[in-house]
Amino acid sequence: MSKSNVGRKIVSAKLTNWVQPAFDDFLSDSTITSVTSHGKPSGHSLSSNGGQKIFQPERDKRSKFFPLNSTKNRKRTKTTNKGLLNYRKSNPPSNRTEPWVDEYIPRTQSELAVHKKKIEEVENWLKVHIRQRCHQDGSILLLTGPSGAGKTATLQVLVKELEIQLLEWTNPLQNEFKKPEFRDSFDIGKNYHTSQSVLFHEFLLRANKYNKLQMLGDSFQTDKKVILVEDIPNQFYRDPSCMHEVLRRRFVQTARCPLVFIISDSVSGSSNQRFLFPKDIQEELCIYNISFNPVAPTNMMKVLNRIASQESGGKTVAPDKAMLELVCQGSAGDIRCAINSLQFASAQGSSLEQNQLSFSKRKILAKAGTFSKGKLKGKASEKGDCLQAIGNKDPCLFLFRALGKILYCKRKFPYFEGEAPNGVDLNDLPTHLSEHERDPLLVNPEEVIENSHMSAELFNLYLHQNYLDFFKEIEDVVRASDYLSDANFLIADWNHHSTMMTYSASVATRGIIHANTARARANCQGGIGFKPFHKPQWLLINKKYHENCNAAKGFFSNFCLAPICLQTQLLPYLALLTNPMRNQAQINFIQDVGTFPFKRYPARLTLETLTDKDPGIMELDNDENFSLATSSVGMETQNSAVSASQTGSGDLPNSQPQPTITQSILEEEFIIEEYDSD
Amino acid sequence: MSLWVDKYRPTALGKLDYHKDQAGQLRNLVQCGDFPHLLVYGPSGSGKKTRIMCLLRELYGAGIEKLRIEHQSITTPSKKKLEISTIASNYHLEVNASDAGNNDRVVIQELIKTVAQSQQLETSTQRDFKVVVLTEVDRLTKDAQHALRRTMEKYMSTCRLILCCNSTSKVISPIRSRCLAVRVPAPSIEEICHVLSGVCKKECLILPQELARKIAEQSNRNLRKALLMCEACRVQQYPFSVDQDIPETDWEVYLRETANAIVNQQTPQRLLEVRARLYELLTHCIPPEIIMKGLLSELLNNCDGQLKGEVSQMAAYYEHRLQLGSKAIYHLEAFVAKFMAIYKQFMEVGLEAMMF
Repeated sequence: MSKSNVGRKIVSAKLTNWVQPAFDDFLSDSTITSVTSHGKPSGHSLSSNGGQKIFQPERDKRSKFFPLNSTKNRKRTKTTNKGLLNYRKSNPPSNRTEPWVDEYIPRTQSELAVHKKKIEEVENWLKVHIRQRCHQDGSILLLTGPSGAGKTATLQVLVKELEIQLLEWTNPLQNEFKKPEFRDSFDIGKNYHTSQSVLFHEFLLRANKYNKLQMLGDSFQTDKKVILVEDIPNQFYRDPSCMHEVLRRRFVQTARCPLVFIISDSVSGSSNQRFLFPKDIQEELCIYNISFNPVAPTNMMKVLNRIASQESGGKTVAPDKAMLELVCQGSAGDIRCAINSLQFASAQGSSLEQNQLSFSKRKILAKAGTFSKGKLKGKASEKGDCLQAIGNKDPCLFLFRALGKILYCKRKFPYFEGEAPNGVDLNDLPTHLSEHERDPLLVNPEEVIENSHMSAELFNLYLHQNYLDFFKEIEDVVRASDYLSDANFLIADWNHHSTMMTYSASVATRGIIHANTARARANCQGGIGFKPFHKPQWLLINKKYHENCNAAKGFFSNFCLAPICLQTQLLPYLALLTNPMRNQAQINFIQDVGTFPFKRYPARLTLETLTDKDPGIMELDNDENFSLATSSVGMETQNSAVSASQTGSGDLPNSQPQPTITQSILEEEFIIEEYDSD
Repeated sequence: MSLWVDKYRPTALGKLDYHKDQAGQLRNLVQCGDFPHLLVYGPSGSGKKTRIMCLLRELYGAGIEKLRIEHQSITTPSKKKLEISTIASNYHLEVNASDAGNNDRVVIQELIKTVAQSQQLETSTQRDFKVVVLTEVDRLTKDAQHALRRTMEKYMSTCRLILCCNSTSKVISPIRSRCLAVRVPAPSIEEICHVLSGVCKKECLILPQELARKIAEQSNRNLRKALLMCEACRVQQYPFSVDQDIPETDWEVYLRETANAIVNQQTPQRLLEVRARLYELLTHCIPPEIIMKGLLSELLNNCDGQLKGEVSQMAAYYEHRLQLGSKAIYHLEAFVAKFMAIYKQFMEVGLEAMMF
């Protein structure tokens, strides 16, 4: 044994202390089979785990498919068991350390916090697709929704109730790289480093064809099965088309059992379902998409109440109703997070809990009081502190909502009805500034930007694209556009770019909110109605501008003109002239760039509507990076032009346009025209 | 069939059509076979490049006309690859360093170094220096200009620089003082008329004097533009008639329509339409500075004398912003909005004055 192995043993033994709860449950359930079955690379029954650990067998099943891992597994599990035994001695089997999330995992449909209709929808889909044996298409289900909305739990419950086997893909761990000398001494020709996508591929094939091995304790024998992919191989994030290929080729054609993908919503673009499963792919593969909503507060409260009542009487302090409400509020519809924070908050002997309770009680009391006094601000901050202390989920706003919050800028009444504004108020502005007087805002713009998880630059672009719809007076627009100009100016210098970002966003958002005099008062809301949001055109326009400039440079480099002269003088006039000494690509380019569509509405500027959950994905290129990236495109065309001119006469007779081999970059295909220079 | 602009471009100092005194001076300058660094400046379309090429021809003979386009790739200290295209003959090299954006300093240093370090082989038939022509020097960053200053001194023995720009105001004074400044003024209307009729004679066309004058006036004393216009006229209608329309470029017409749209109505909705039009201009490769300038001149034509001062001031303010900022549309739009507000207020006040 090498040193490293010993080291690993120790480490893994230690590790098990941390991961104990998961195994502990396993041990207590099936004590007899634990060592033997764990040692063997074999499948486990679902029933022996009592449904709680449905995914337990999967870990072993993988080793069945890839026997290479088995030796390592054995070693690991032995030490694991040692750790477990120690643990069992020291701890009574009361399962007190079990996370409540695992302990109170829903077992029946009624226990799920998901809306009935959603469960029904998934159930129907499963029923339909399990029944039909040989289906050509439509056997892929895509479950989406925010994390903690109960996607996985719903599927687990349904699978159990419908008596379906669940085969899950888990990304294999490949942390050990064998050195070549080891390899050739043992199995020559065995592929040690198969890529994840290949493994995934094989998994799909086998899971499709073969049933799970019948193992000791396997009670229900069913050939109904569903493949679940929640852990998408990393390679596919980098290149989703790769996954589409796998699905198209291997799965859809030979599909025997339905495939379920579960993807959590996220604001970042790379792991987004729109990125992994674009609309056209969804249509092509007939993927059925069911989107889960965040858990509704009422459902959440029901679950929390159930847990709280079951927990009470033990060593933990029963959390009271105010506490539950607080937890429910803080979790933003994430049930997993809510249960975790509930457990954390009600853990015995935590001083935090005492604080929390008293704090929250105080808050509730304060809540009643605040309405009489104008302590609105104090209340808001107190609320924020309170929620943060419990460890709530980071609130996250989709771009659509974030934009709405800024542009619809809700304001509140500074005074309550019936209470006349008494003459002396410190907040009153002097008369000459009275046009700047606004009612207090309900939203905090900086918070909105932070929660939207976007760069200030991009957010400003979105605001700029959409703000005009919300203005009625041109005087207000002047002020707003001036603020936007200021905001852009603030981040112009790359030296201070990162520091100034937040300021820039503040200036832009607050500027736009303030400038809108039509929404200066709390009572003049509405009237505008729903306005669709659009994605900013600027990025596209800017890209196009640079592309066209580079293309112009590439196509007409023989004129030896400075770019400005070329773009503003030569090209437009070339469009007016009939000069035959040009190739098709050049003519197309001149037609495209040199002439304007006067009559018709600019067709290329079609607006792209921003929908509810669209992420703000658009790589915001730095202008310099950008111009360089595109300049390489331009260079390509230039290169081809030059290679042609060199193969030809090799020189330019005083800026004479020459026939060249040019690749047209306007259509995305290569038109290679060869001319003999004569 | 090449463009008239290229076809009838004079290639020798003796054949230049205007500024003949200056041509004589330039010939005297290179008579002895050597010359100082030059800084040639003047408005667009006045014949700077033509004069530079004539000068080089005087110096090196017809070999200068064998041009080729070369692509140089330069690696910056930060390991970034820059591609830049140059136009070169055996004796000279023409670079537009501002193509490289922020990395123009590296381009200047590397290119001039490589040119200057290679000695000419046959000094008997050739000059013992090469010439580097740098165009658009006024668009270089300050960094690059300072680098240029050092390079100029260092490689004086093997290399001469000819800098070409529109205005010297953006060229740092150390460079200005190291160069012999040659100003090429825009040709007068008469000179343009003369050139136009000369070209038409060579094309065997009859150009009426009035039309030539009209073209010259409309070209803004830009000879390149005048020749292009003249050729466009020829395409449009021949034989020429005195009162024929002189074709304008599409973007100018489009810009004028945009300005009219701004003057006609001042609402946020109109601003949205104007924004779409500005985008359209940008996608057609019209640089934002040119849009700003063109828009201003069109708007000034449309508004009352009292407003002109204020509008121009606003334009200057936002043009400055445009240069400093990174996204042109913010500033263009802010300018348009500002103009709308000023104009609207002025009209309302005027209307009230009329009522009472």
